[in-house]
Amino acid sequence: MAQPAAAVNWLPPLALGFWGAVLLQAWSSGRLNLLLQADFHWLVLVAGLLLLALALLAMRFPPGRRSGQQPALIMLLAAPLMLALPPKPSLSTLAANRSSSDLGESDQALTFFSPPEQRSLTDWARLLRSQPDPELYRGDPVRISGFVLPVAGEPPQLARLTVRCCLADATPVGLPVLWPDGAQPEADQWLDIQGAMGVERHQGGLRSIVVADAIRSIPKPERPLEP
Amino acid sequence: MGTILTLGVIGSFGPQLQTVWAVFQGLLLEAIPFLLIGVAIATIARAWDPRGRLLQRLPRHPLLGPLSGAALGFALPACECGNVPVARRLMAQGAPMGAALGFLFAAPVLNPIVLLSTWAAFPDRPWLLLLRPLGSVLIALALTALLQQLSEAALLAPDLLEERRMGQPLERASLLERRSGLIGSIQAAPPPAVVEPARPSLAVLLDHGLREFLELGSLLLLGCAIAATIQTLIPRDLFLTVGQAPTLSVISLMVLAVVVSVCSSVDAFLALGFAALVTPGALLAFLLLGPVIDLKSLSLFARLFRRRGILLMLAGVVLAVLLIGQWLNLLLL
Repeated sequence: MAQPAAAVNWLPPLALGFWGAVLLQAWSSGRLNLLLQADFHWLVLVAGLLLLALALLAMRFPPGRRSGQQPALIMLLAAPLMLALPPKPSLSTLAANRSSSDLGESDQALTFFSPPEQRSLTDWARLLRSQPDPELYRGDPVRISGFVLPVAGEPPQLARLTVRCCLADATPVGLPVLWPDGAQPEADQWLDIQGAMGVERHQGGLRSIVVADAIRSIPKPERPLEP
Repeated sequence: MGTILTLGVIGSFGPQLQTVWAVFQGLLLEAIPFLLIGVAIATIARAWDPRGRLLQRLPRHPLLGPLSGAALGFALPACECGNVPVARRLMAQGAPMGAALGFLFAAPVLNPIVLLSTWAAFPDRPWLLLLRPLGSVLIALALTALLQQLSEAALLAPDLLEERRMGQPLERASLLERRSGLIGSIQAAPPPAVVEPARPSLAVLLDHGLREFLELGSLLLLGCAIAATIQTLIPRDLFLTVGQAPTLSVISLMVLAVVVSVCSSVDAFLALGFAALVTPGALLAFLLLGPVIDLKSLSLFARLFRRRGILLMLAGVVLAVLLIGQWLNLLLL
């Protein structure tokens, strides 16, 4: 006896297509720059294209069963949220929960020999970890950019986030700053600072501090995370 | 007054909620490609060996089985999100449980990408490059032995058990056959004369792969949401302050591994950040536990095991990693 034709189940291909769109939109809009280390971006692109292709194929051979409706519905509801609500993390909130720690030993020699004014904030932080004697850098010109990171009991620092994989493993690196009189840096504000490296007494010892001469507000960079 | 209070509360939680949402997206967008790779490998295995005859030839020996499964990690490099669908396929196709469990628990570490990244992150710690895969194999052997104390009916998720019993896809078996176990049995290897075409059609493969992806994807959503919330709200310093305490440092780094939920291919680089602050045993514990369980992938295990199996697995892996971490601290401190 002939079986009645099962109702066509369009939810799974739709959900798949939406998620393909989520991944492609994240790749094309630059959203990934805020979420993932650059080495992983191509994986998201390829996965997005594959999901879209699979969704088209699944529409050609739509599943006839009603099983799997619930997961498809959950995925289908989540996808528009991902599309509509872009990530706007507070980098200072993220950094406040994570300790600034060892940055590894990569490229330390290169960093040391690069002219001081060409060193990024992360370069400086690496250098100060490998050669912590602050007298080595007294008076060196500094030009760095980063976001303002409030520090409990101290003036705010200028910081960047380093990422190995995704925002989940972001680790802050910050430099103490001697702010000019009247400067009122706000958390998460992106600044470009010119000045010189100085020395200050801190917790019974000496440490390097950026003595800011000129501060300029800048827009958040296209790639705010550093490897 | 109430409105002002509400706005104030929302305002004060605003940056944290935004950060949770961003971390959630980061975790998810990083995990989905690996999940897709895992589902693709599982689907290809199903197309290539629909009756699972090749997989069923994997060793059934209690030691060789898990070791052969673990070694499959070198051929099918995927981190923890990707290897769940592959392990599920191994079980569904009738592979010996020991081999499938060995793959599930050891493959996220025993693959070339993870070993290379460990070496790249810790070139000055050759003992770590040796102990990470060795520890991973030991944990896989221990967990396999532990979980096999349960019958397959008590261990495996109902859908998977039925698929394994039938030796064919769920949608091809009638309800009566699936529920009654008239065809096949728990211990038996694959039923011999089940009606099944030599190769499943493209539509069947597609349907199965699609369902697998969506089911695991919806669980991944939950895991990423939990991981993003906890790791944004709990200061990471909390896990690192115990520093050099032999036992507490191991426990703290184990909790951190579960919370951070970073993919096993890059967790060594993350560990590099705090390697100098913690004991060697704690560092190894972080690198051993994360690839087996974390908040992001824990929900995926619901597609493999019943609750009892998941709890037993959790207890077993926590105990094994804690012991390994402490032994190492006893030796090196």
